[in-house]
Amino acid sequence: MYKLLKRSRVVISLLILVVITLNFLYFANRETLFFANFLKIQFVPALLGAFTGSGIIFSLLIILTLFFGRVYCSTLCPLGTLQDIFTKVAGFFKSKKKRRFSYSSPKSILRYSLLALALISLIFGITSIISYLDPYSNFGRISTELIGRAEQLIQNGLSTIVPESVFFRTYSTFVAGSFVFAAAFLILIIVMSAFWGRLYCNTICPVGTFLGLLSRFSMFKPKINSQKCNHCNLCIQNCKSGCIDTESGIIDQSRCVACLDCMNKCKKGAVSYKFSWKKEIKEETSKDNNQGKLQSRERREAIIAMGLMGTLLASRAIGFPRQIDSAPKITGIAPPGAGSIENLKKNCTACQACISACPNGIIKPATTQYGLDGILMPVLSFEKQFCGFDCTVCNQVCPNGALKPLSLEEKKLTQIGRANFRLKKCIVYTDKTDCGACDEHCPTKAITMIPYRDTGLFIPKLNKDICIGCGGCQYVCPATPEKAITVSANEVHKTAQKPTVEKQEKVKVDSFGF
Amino acid sequence: MERRNFLKAALLGSIAGAIQLKPENIFAGESASAPEKNDLVAVMGGDPVTMYKKGITAMGGISRFVKKGQKVVVKPNIGWDKKPELAANTNPQLVAAIVKDCLAAGASEVIVFDHTCDEWQACYKNSGIEDAAKSAGAKIGYAHDEKYYKDVNLPNGVRLKSAKIHESIIDCDVWVNVPVLKNHGGAKMTISMKNYMGIVWDRGFWHSNDLQQCIADCATYSKKPVLNIVDAYRIMTQNGPKGKTAEDVVLAKALFLSTDIVAADTAALKFFNQFKEMKMEAVSHIGKAEKLNVGTTNLDSIKVERIKI
Repeated sequence: MYKLLKRSRVVISLLILVVITLNFLYFANRETLFFANFLKIQFVPALLGAFTGSGIIFSLLIILTLFFGRVYCSTLCPLGTLQDIFTKVAGFFKSKKKRRFSYSSPKSILRYSLLALALISLIFGITSIISYLDPYSNFGRISTELIGRAEQLIQNGLSTIVPESVFFRTYSTFVAGSFVFAAAFLILIIVMSAFWGRLYCNTICPVGTFLGLLSRFSMFKPKINSQKCNHCNLCIQNCKSGCIDTESGIIDQSRCVACLDCMNKCKKGAVSYKFSWKKEIKEETSKDNNQGKLQSRERREAIIAMGLMGTLLASRAIGFPRQIDSAPKITGIAPPGAGSIENLKKNCTACQACISACPNGIIKPATTQYGLDGILMPVLSFEKQFCGFDCTVCNQVCPNGALKPLSLEEKKLTQIGRANFRLKKCIVYTDKTDCGACDEHCPTKAITMIPYRDTGLFIPKLNKDICIGCGGCQYVCPATPEKAITVSANEVHKTAQKPTVEKQEKVKVDSFGF
Repeated sequence: MERRNFLKAALLGSIAGAIQLKPENIFAGESASAPEKNDLVAVMGGDPVTMYKKGITAMGGISRFVKKGQKVVVKPNIGWDKKPELAANTNPQLVAAIVKDCLAAGASEVIVFDHTCDEWQACYKNSGIEDAAKSAGAKIGYAHDEKYYKDVNLPNGVRLKSAKIHESIIDCDVWVNVPVLKNHGGAKMTISMKNYMGIVWDRGFWHSNDLQQCIADCATYSKKPVLNIVDAYRIMTQNGPKGKTAEDVVLAKALFLSTDIVAADTAALKFFNQFKEMKMEAVSHIGKAEKLNVGTTNLDSIKVERIKI
């Protein structure tokens, strides 16, 4: 039975890895937003979106853990699966002996500190810590920055071989910091998983640590039957979490990722899931005083962590405001759906789902535009394109609720920023020639061309109330070195006035006019 | 003459007079066989395909312009991510009809492309042109990256001395220019010559170096379209070139075909002027192009045929 279970786990985890990766790849996400649905089953997005539509998913993830332990880590987490692949691949280069895992003691201080840090900062509305540590968000960044770029290179290579059927994809603005972060993280993961299996999941990952604490209370736990066990150590040699201590015959449930490998490898059938909501824990603890101490300490930690999680959920439920000021002046324009920079910062974990999905390639990971606590979060760049008027893709794919889904009608009135016009930089003013590029691109006609003095020329006139901040004007303004028209961010997104409709009187024309 | 017959004739005559029916309109279908070829044909009152068929026949048929085995480019305006009803782009049915006609005349391939303003895939798709052109047998050309453009000298240009022009225009044997007639905030009007902005890469240079002059300059490019077909089935009379709502669009049901790009724009502008006032002087690129000997604004100096359906 465990063989079948394990096989299903491997198949499901690979499927999830594939669909989540597809969500970040151009050839797939340009065709359909279907794959974005799978992002919502990730733990951190479900936690952050618990009060914005992901409540049920979040509860299901918790219930799943309370039943069978860290199934999320072994099956649903794409970074977990990726690490297993690295472990497997590294195994090919190792001798049989070196391939074996051994028991390692938990790095409890480190893991609980990181979890506490992540939770406390989240309570105060800072997502930075969880963004940098969250396995899904890191996987998203690896997909976008590395796999996605590789895809682009391949496509552009093909575009020179078969230019008629494959088009060249223009390289959009490159943010080195984000690329380096993703690459460094990938290297860290490769090294850790190649040598120590799931060490990242059991030491650094706050999701792993939290679910580990939770799975102390789970209904079914893997247990070693001391009567059947012949201490062959096969289970521990195959435990990528290094959490089986055969000497004491105990499996450290907090670090077990429910991969089912031990149950599969055991030739005696000594390892199996056992119903654990009976009162046998007390008996066990009384057996060994030392063990008992350890357990009670860990239980305390578990309770503290649960308390923090509870506080976090409560604070999010009541919409507790962010406790830090976005001290530096905010210059970044947040994608439509963000609502406000504050909301973005409270909910975004910089997974780059929106960045990879934007058809215009204008969403970029932030450097300093939002201040220090907004690094890597999505920010608009009007350097090479602008925000499509009839597009809502970014806020449809966001799994966290950092960008809330907007209807097209809402989006067309969502003012993410406002244009500013500087006459003295305008071509019509400086060169005394017609231009009108900004007016051409303005989708709401917040810009209109009006007669400029008595020169016979026309100059832009701006109605900021209609402007939605799409950046078309800024992108296309040909004035150099400084643009005559630029969009500045709305820290809180506003609703623009509806564009005016100029009715035309019907003219009956039945001649050519010449 | 019997009184009855006289009354009949008088009645018919007065009706004919009232609807301004002229002898040439009655015999429009036969004029294609006239020995001297038309320079400009204006058609009015039909759907895009019917108007095109009448018009191209009056121009001497597509075989006058496209020979067997030639590589052809049909260049519509696909600038914006807008539906056909909003008239921001050339009518897709018209594009399809031209493509089919070119292939029927023996063209070895027909490429349809435009350097769009909005995101290119959205424009190609939502304009309806990609589907229409593909199902008519054309290939879609990519034009969204600088890599698809090559430097070309424009020795006769005043401000624009060189431009990066799309490779399919450079490589083709003949190209057909198929703009849509629209109001335009910067250039006042966008017709045939303004449609050249979709065959070049660096439009920013035009905007910052006397847009009107650059439009005229680019029209001096030695490889001229063999035919300009101005789609005026739906025309955007205000808030152009992008437009906001269907309120900006008028169903004008006209089509202009000309080998002379300046004449085509002049005729289309005069037609447009009946819906919304627009003076020749304001659309100064037309006059500037005439000065550069690209064509004529004097429609009396060329052979014009008017067809009403």
